Amino acid sequence: MARKIFLFIAIFSLALSVFAADDSKIEVPLRFDRYYNYEDVVKALEVLHAAYPDLTKLESMGVSEEGRKIYVLTINNSKTGSELEKPGVWVDGNIHGNEIQAGEVCLYYANMLLTKYGENEKITKAVDRNVHYIVPVVNVDGRAHFFDDANTPNSSRSIRVPKDDDGDGLFDEDAPDDLDGDGSICQMRIKDPNGAYKADSEDPRIMVRVKPGEKGEYTILGSEGMDNDGDGRFNEDAEGYLDPNRNWGFNWMPDYVQRGAGNFPLSGIGLKAINDYVAKHPNIIMNFAFHNNGGMWLRVPAEKSTQIPQSDVAAYDVIGKEAIKITPGYVYMPAYDLYPTYGDSDGQFFFVFGSYSLVGELFIRTQETYSEKPKAASYNDEERGGGIERDREELKFNDNVVQGELYHDWKPFHHPVYGDIEIGGWVKMSSRLPHPFMLNDLVHRNASVVLLAATETPEVEMKVFETKDLGNNLKRVRIRLENKNGLSTMTAQAVKDKLYTIDHLKVSGAKVIASGKIDDYRLDKVTYKETKPEIQFFALPGHSSAEYEFIIEGKGKVTFVYVSQKAKNVSTSITL
Amino acid sequence: MLKKLFFLLLSGCLIIPVNRLAAQSASSGKYHSPQEVQQVLKQLGNKSNTKLHQVAVSPGGAPVTVLEIGTNLNDAPAVFVGANFEGNVPLATEGALYFAQMLLDSAIYTQNTKWYILAHPNPDASRDYFAAVKTGAATNMLVINNDADEATDEDGPDDLNSDGMITQMRVKDLEGEYIVSKNDARILDKADKSKGERGEYKVYSEGIDNDLDKLYNEDGVGGVNIGITFPHLFPYTNQEAGRYSGESPETYGIMRFIYDRPNIAMVYTLGTSNFCLVPPKGGRKGGANLESIKIPERYGRMLGIDISKSYSMDEVIEMFKARVPAGMEVTPSMVAGFLGLGATVNPLDEDMVFYKKYAEDYKKFLEAQKFNTDLLDPTPAKDGSFELWAYYHLGVPSFSMCLFSVAKVKEEKKADGEVVSMDDVEKMSTEDFVALGDEKIGAFLKANNAPEQFSAEHVKQMMESGQVTPKMMVGMMKKMPKPEKEGELSEKDKALLAYSEKEPDGKGFVAWQKINHPTLGEVEVGGYAPYLETTPKAELIDSLAKTQLPWLLKLSAQLPKFAIESEKVTDMGAGIYKLEIYVANNGAFPYPTAMGERNSQPAPVILTLAGDFELLEGKMRTPVGSLGANQVKKYIWLLKSKKGDVTATIESAVFTDAVKQIKIGG
Repeated sequence: MARKIFLFIAIFSLALSVFAADDSKIEVPLRFDRYYNYEDVVKALEVLHAAYPDLTKLESMGVSEEGRKIYVLTINNSKTGSELEKPGVWVDGNIHGNEIQAGEVCLYYANMLLTKYGENEKITKAVDRNVHYIVPVVNVDGRAHFFDDANTPNSSRSIRVPKDDDGDGLFDEDAPDDLDGDGSICQMRIKDPNGAYKADSEDPRIMVRVKPGEKGEYTILGSEGMDNDGDGRFNEDAEGYLDPNRNWGFNWMPDYVQRGAGNFPLSGIGLKAINDYVAKHPNIIMNFAFHNNGGMWLRVPAEKSTQIPQSDVAAYDVIGKEAIKITPGYVYMPAYDLYPTYGDSDGQFFFVFGSYSLVGELFIRTQETYSEKPKAASYNDEERGGGIERDREELKFNDNVVQGELYHDWKPFHHPVYGDIEIGGWVKMSSRLPHPFMLNDLVHRNASVVLLAATETPEVEMKVFETKDLGNNLKRVRIRLENKNGLSTMTAQAVKDKLYTIDHLKVSGAKVIASGKIDDYRLDKVTYKETKPEIQFFALPGHSSAEYEFIIEGKGKVTFVYVSQKAKNVSTSITL
Repeated sequence: MLKKLFFLLLSGCLIIPVNRLAAQSASSGKYHSPQEVQQVLKQLGNKSNTKLHQVAVSPGGAPVTVLEIGTNLNDAPAVFVGANFEGNVPLATEGALYFAQMLLDSAIYTQNTKWYILAHPNPDASRDYFAAVKTGAATNMLVINNDADEATDEDGPDDLNSDGMITQMRVKDLEGEYIVSKNDARILDKADKSKGERGEYKVYSEGIDNDLDKLYNEDGVGGVNIGITFPHLFPYTNQEAGRYSGESPETYGIMRFIYDRPNIAMVYTLGTSNFCLVPPKGGRKGGANLESIKIPERYGRMLGIDISKSYSMDEVIEMFKARVPAGMEVTPSMVAGFLGLGATVNPLDEDMVFYKKYAEDYKKFLEAQKFNTDLLDPTPAKDGSFELWAYYHLGVPSFSMCLFSVAKVKEEKKADGEVVSMDDVEKMSTEDFVALGDEKIGAFLKANNAPEQFSAEHVKQMMESGQVTPKMMVGMMKKMPKPEKEGELSEKDKALLAYSEKEPDGKGFVAWQKINHPTLGEVEVGGYAPYLETTPKAELIDSLAKTQLPWLLKLSAQLPKFAIESEKVTDMGAGIYKLEIYVANNGAFPYPTAMGERNSQPAPVILTLAGDFELLEGKMRTPVGSLGANQVKKYIWLLKSKKGDVTATIESAVFTDAVKQIKIGG
């Protein structure tokens, strides 16, 4: 019972805290030297839609737990065809509420496509040939609270479904508290001659673990906060925790296997709404989900017991191996190499909807440099974890490059339980987010990878390359199909799993006596099909061609059409 | 009369008025169509203490509803009863309706317990039994293009012999794999090449190749089988499960309804498995063992430990704590997720204790009613089934019941000496078993299909060296496949054929009949009728329900019950008191179950204190933790108080709260 009541109170009180934060003007072209809170993101989408009404559609896919709308901006040039007949490119971001720059990448992508349409040839082609679904904020409540409330760089990640993290029968009752009212949850330390930490000799802001036998100066008390529920523990039952990227259907595992799973697949109502929307857009063939951080392009599978066909890996490589050149310092790898996850959105897109899904882990913190010769940012444990040299450089970057905006110096505070302590450390907008001066570079490079993927979505060409009279009113017609781009018309996994109607070449207008796949047309080597010769089922992998032969009886107009759920269909006719 | 007797039995000396007339509305000795079921539920949901909740609409447009009984209770544990998730077990739906009526006929079952009855979670599939042509399919109307060709639902089965049933077709074919069984001409056996047999028949389900792709009936109407769509061991490779759990609205709506009600403390499932008689199956490989964790190499390096060793969860948590930032909490699920330890796939030993105990009790309960228990084994619960999900994910006791199974054919005792039974051997000491002598041991091993290397001599040696006991051996043998005796039909075929000749008026097996098939030429249509195994004549519904369902009422009377059993206040002087409170679980089930403890899903039971005092030691809210059946645990506080009472409350989202005033000081 208590659970229900609490849920009620939680939802009600949080719903009241929604208000507009930043009233700086939002207009087209959008600016990317700033971050957009939830209301700003909505405004930005509205102004883009208002400026390009013919090319865009702005829809709410559904609402979140706290009633916020989850928007998708669709960019499609209806003059070049209707939406569902074009290969769809989906870009979403900010599924984790704190990973906000992912939203800016999405907004930048939309802004770039629209403002450069008609000016830049590559972009114009991508707008004309593809349809783009842009969802800057998946976790709308998480983003709203990240801006509105005091947070660490890591908090407000979850979906707002209360959870009793500490098993005391109460929900979300002991979150960190912004004791000094600076809008960030920092760290607390207390002077303690028996403590395990001392100040760094070079930069006393840095806490260093003492060596065995060495005398300490401080004890680190953890995140800023109080024991709100009087159980002797601090901040142990904060908001949520339902991780929106562990709650999707494919390969979902419950919470005891993986924290944050939620009670059952797609129990998050906003996620369910998004899932239902995607299900109605079977043309989506490429999708990006942007996160932070670390600088990675992650492909499926996210867990090692699942394997994907080699030809799908090859298709991913077309994007991944180029992407790491566009975003220097990023690595491209299967997601399971990071750590195993279950029920993530990329698995759902790939294994349920048959789309090539990539996760972009934005931002490499080692790009925050203060050095004559910055070391090339690279992904390895030493540099990611830091080390004291790196800690010092980060602080110097803060002091000298961003004028101290990312770090809160230790300041005395009188804590109701601990007495005299100090509060300080990296602020909310640090650590996982680029300072706004670096944001433009980040959003541009990552949006360029999305554009690259759009240009690699399949494009099929078909021609009749030979017609031969076999006598007896029979003709032999040979067709060549070519996919000029890097992604297959259908993933090999989708073919294997029979996810949907397999792409096919179909003949109409005359009776087909026999048909087959040509293995070698010069030697007349053909593999004939036993049944239904008028239809041949096959996907066209990236940069490949295939040849088929049909033996047709009669005269008149015969039409060949290649039908694909995701690639644009093509057809050709001949008169026999 | 019987019903009255049973109530007497159940409630000891309490005499309960039984409204026998009321029972008629739900159970009238017939199978109700989904529309009729909905009608009955509407009537039942219209009473002062009932409510009908709609949880979903099936893809075929039928409502999925849950009948709540005991709406007047606000703070009480609930039992959820689900029936016929596969849709093709109409008896289970009837059982649920009968059960609902039993609950409504007496006030006793709703005194302290709320009930949720889900009588037809798969209404689309449930239509099949009432259709002009019965297929026996379990799938709903979710549109699935099973063969991924250009058409959907274009090649379902066809009733070629117009008998209103889809059975099988056998066709003479040089590439066939089957031969007519030497034991019974109705049955087909796989040809055994090693015995020089060559196949003669191909076997298909009854129908034509509607889409002319040389595949028969591979893309019929529908859908997914709700009975395998729940997320424990969701069968991704089975098309009938769909692509993920909850894809179909029935499953999603049911899961949402249940998780919105944390007071559900027990789950019953009526269908084809029978946890009441045969506890959930163990022995599956690949589950997480949290007491013996292997650390992958890359994390081993990071943690600086010996990766050749295994570690307990507590040890691993300590290792991680040393590596994470100060103050960050490390939980078992965090570690399990990080290391990718995976899900629990076998029932936990502690829970098998109550499953086994109640299986034995249930057998006695049935025998006392002269109910034949020598039946074909119930189907083991399927991956993705509701009953497994309830045990593994909800973490509550999950009992399933199969109301009908076909009786086994009684084996005639062999003339040449009697073979000792497994049950007898299980109870024997090693000495007694060895004393049986080589001949009897050999006969026992042979009769039970022991692998050849287990000769009487070998087994005796193993016993004498203490490697194995008779009990262990029988345990292993019971897990092996049932012996297929040379020159005999399988136990199941024997039972089904015998049954099909008597009970369903000889219609249980459709005799092979020649038919001219449009693409296969001459074929024979025949085989077991759909529903033969699961669905007896409607006249039997009431007696089957009446004999078996009361067991579920007995079980639910054993739910955990928390009480403050006793308390003690010790004056320590200077206004300081020691308070000791004894909390008891007066039920016969532990709370939570071992699985519930593993998955932290059931809501905690909390002991709270209130009053005018200051705590020196202990907490205002103390999680009671796990409490076994009939177990008492002591909790201690040190408090400073001037006067007055302390109010102690047992608080939980599951059970009825219990409050006690405790006087402190003079």
